[in-house]
Amino acid sequence: MRLKRTVIAASAIAALTLTAACGGGSGSGEDSTGEFKAGGGAGAGKDATAEGPLEIPSDAKKGGTITVLSNNAPHTLDPTRTYYTDSGAIMSGLVTRSLTQYVYDEKSGDSILVPDLATDLGQVSEDGLTWTFELKDGLKYEDGTDVTAEDVVYGIKRSFAVDTLTDGPTYQLTFFKDGDKYKGPFADTDAELKKLPDYDASAGWYGGEDYDGVEADGNKVIIHLAQPFPELDYYASFPVFSPIPKAKDKDPLAYESHPMATGPYKFESYKPGVSLKLVKNEHWDPDTDPGRIQAADAFDFRFAQDTAKLENQILGDKGAAQTMMTYDDVTPPTYKSIKESAPDNLIEGTSPCTYMYRPDQTKIKDKKIREAISWAYPYQAAWKASGEIVGVTIQPGTSLLPPGTAGRVEYQYPKGQDGQTTDPEKAKALLEEAGAVGFELKWHYQRDDENSVAKKDQMVKGFEAAGFKATPVASTDETYRDDESNLDAPVNLRYGGWCSDWPSGGSWFPAQWIGSNANKPGMPNPTNFKEDDADAKQAEILKMDADEVPAAWGEFDKWMQETYMVEINAGYDANAFIKGSQVGGVVNDPVKGMPSFSIMYLK
Amino acid sequence: MTVSEVLIKGGRDPEINPEPSSSEVAGRSPMRIAMDRLRSDKVAMVCAGIVLVFVLIAIFAPLLCKLFGVEVRAGDPVTDTDSFNYPVIGPPNYGFTWEAPLGLEPNSGNDLLAEWFYGARTSLLVATVATIVSTIVGVVLGLIAGYSRGWGDRLVTFATDLFLTLPFLLVAIAVSPMLVERWKENPAMLDNASLIALIVILSVFGWMGLARLIRGEVVSLREREFIEAARVLGMPTHRILFRELLPNLVAPIVVSFSLSLPATIAAEATLAYLGVGVTGRPSWGQTILRAQNWFDEYPLFLYAPIVGIVVLVFALNLLGDAIRDAFDPKSFR
Repeated sequence: MRLKRTVIAASAIAALTLTAACGGGSGSGEDSTGEFKAGGGAGAGKDATAEGPLEIPSDAKKGGTITVLSNNAPHTLDPTRTYYTDSGAIMSGLVTRSLTQYVYDEKSGDSILVPDLATDLGQVSEDGLTWTFELKDGLKYEDGTDVTAEDVVYGIKRSFAVDTLTDGPTYQLTFFKDGDKYKGPFADTDAELKKLPDYDASAGWYGGEDYDGVEADGNKVIIHLAQPFPELDYYASFPVFSPIPKAKDKDPLAYESHPMATGPYKFESYKPGVSLKLVKNEHWDPDTDPGRIQAADAFDFRFAQDTAKLENQILGDKGAAQTMMTYDDVTPPTYKSIKESAPDNLIEGTSPCTYMYRPDQTKIKDKKIREAISWAYPYQAAWKASGEIVGVTIQPGTSLLPPGTAGRVEYQYPKGQDGQTTDPEKAKALLEEAGAVGFELKWHYQRDDENSVAKKDQMVKGFEAAGFKATPVASTDETYRDDESNLDAPVNLRYGGWCSDWPSGGSWFPAQWIGSNANKPGMPNPTNFKEDDADAKQAEILKMDADEVPAAWGEFDKWMQETYMVEINAGYDANAFIKGSQVGGVVNDPVKGMPSFSIMYLK
Repeated sequence: MTVSEVLIKGGRDPEINPEPSSSEVAGRSPMRIAMDRLRSDKVAMVCAGIVLVFVLIAIFAPLLCKLFGVEVRAGDPVTDTDSFNYPVIGPPNYGFTWEAPLGLEPNSGNDLLAEWFYGARTSLLVATVATIVSTIVGVVLGLIAGYSRGWGDRLVTFATDLFLTLPFLLVAIAVSPMLVERWKENPAMLDNASLIALIVILSVFGWMGLARLIRGEVVSLREREFIEAARVLGMPTHRILFRELLPNLVAPIVVSFSLSLPATIAAEATLAYLGVGVTGRPSWGQTILRAQNWFDEYPLFLYAPIVGIVVLVFALNLLGDAIRDAFDPKSFR
């Protein structure tokens, strides 16, 4: 899953009006280190028998509007395209129900996979190639019409149209039957297929409604696979597996303006990039839903807000601000004041994401140089300069898989690298061994982002101290993402994060480090990592039994780093966000790295 | 002795001289009179002193940093900030220290006094160069437009109007990504390019007002007897422009220069605040941008650059007003 994107342009304009807060003395200078809460094992648990309704907490008041502010803005809210952490949490938590879902379990501080529209977590056939989900009775859309298995099937078919509905998850293309040939329901003539990029007449492409990889049988959804996909029940929690009535999808790109709600809330108004107002969906039946409540009357999302302004509002906790919250990471000054004044309004937890510096394998060929980078990188200085609070919004990282992933193996590579140690001497020695003293490192930074510039200054210092030549390449907030995913960009070190789609390595390695994706435009394999033995190992793991798979990925993580030193771990993402005093049920969902909107209420 | 010198010696229209006439006046040029008047204005002198201090700070920024034992952009976040990213010495959590008189910047640990000194340098460098360039351009084009009847006048007037219609902020914001695209692989070059581009943009958008003013003055002066006389004597045009007309325009030029300098300083800070100004070197506008999030806990961070801008711009404005009063007694308060 991709990290939410930041809208800098909007904040720069909002910043035109200088926001100053009412004065407030700084507290004592005591240095009380923020203690990091281990948020449990991210969603490794499952409960196929969970049943609704979910109990509304006793301190909940019926009614009221919860206002959610953010500096970010979701790219799109089309259920088929939601693949960022923020849009996924909003849609799955409140609006669209999928075949399965996660529910937060207070006892373990963890999210557990439970059924949603389906009666269980799916039945898989003996050969692992057919999955069957049976829908519950009495499921209704916001307009009172019945949810049918055909609608779920149509929703899944829709997700194959990746050229029309871009940016969505793409596991179905790899694992589902004919996933590489079927192009979705929209391109149903040869002429339309020819218009798609990379058209190949001999590949046997087809489109339209006629696809037998997914079929409806009564109230059953049957999925046929090309290769076993033991973790499909996790994937079935994505909004891709939500029902979409074909009659409402006349213009696929406009569907996001009002997706048909099956969850407790429905769209009242949506202005892309600005605001989203959700109101109660009368036709949602709590008895069918083990994961959501409907206590507040409405949710009011306001996007692209100025960070300083929104933090000061929530921090002040006066009047309307008591019912506000944000899902943005807190900035250091606000963290300090809220920790002192109202620690209950600060929510901390884990997020299933790892930040990585990613050397381009085609440009930095010597493994020793890549190891040298991991000793030269100024972890602490770079985090602090970019405004991260170490231990609160970022954690030193070792294994690539973040904590909480099933089967994760904890290891340190290079030996002694605990994810925060900078040792220029070791780096220098490695560079000398490799005969590459003065090796030039080039990476992108955002010239118009003060934090990015400050981080770059620290990196230049760190790399030069270790005997590298450091050449930062200028980019802007506007173009940064495109520059980073440009195959021909004049850099040899990229920066990125990856979040688990579900808590196992299956959503990590085939998605990021499969050789067939190397050297492709858009950089689906961000390090251009392509080694035959690594590819063979991954293919082998995908064929294993479901219960062996997570551990195998954990071992693969260690093997890949020790053999090839593919990535430099720049820390695990962690969450710290703030809320007003009247908002209840705010917990950090460790699976999504977002607040749990589905169980939120007003006190 | 040129015709104009005769005229200047003779004094301009006697009724615009507010001083009670005495026998000494006959020997003083209008410039001299204005300077005398300025010198007796206490506010103007105080402001001139303040501006001088800022100029000295800008020129001797590296020396001052050495004197205070601070270094620009040399902070180490690991040793200079605590676990909340707050500085480990100086305000807001600790008392005043000579190690960092204005404190350290949170997150990066850079010294704020050094940042302030170098910010003054950037501010004054950009504003002075841009104002001088725009003044020269404005004067030259104004002279040409005013003196050449016909197409020359029309052309310059058209260009003036055209530049007045261009939205300054929009152009400044649009140029920034172009520079990045061109020099993205050469960071040092990019920093210089952004400085030069900023000066060019501020100059390009600063000359129109003066050009119009000068044109108007020239149009009214060119029919006067001393110009007619010069022409009859066969004086070449450039000589008429620069030796006869220009000395009569000193007052509006000096006034315009002294008033546009503070405006340019404010514009430089605004652009830096918006992230499209100079990069790679300290600037007050950038410091304000970074400081606003910390205002609640650490107001000094924001106050220092704001006080710098306010005091400098205020002093320059008052000085400009005083200069205008001195040169143009008609607008006496």
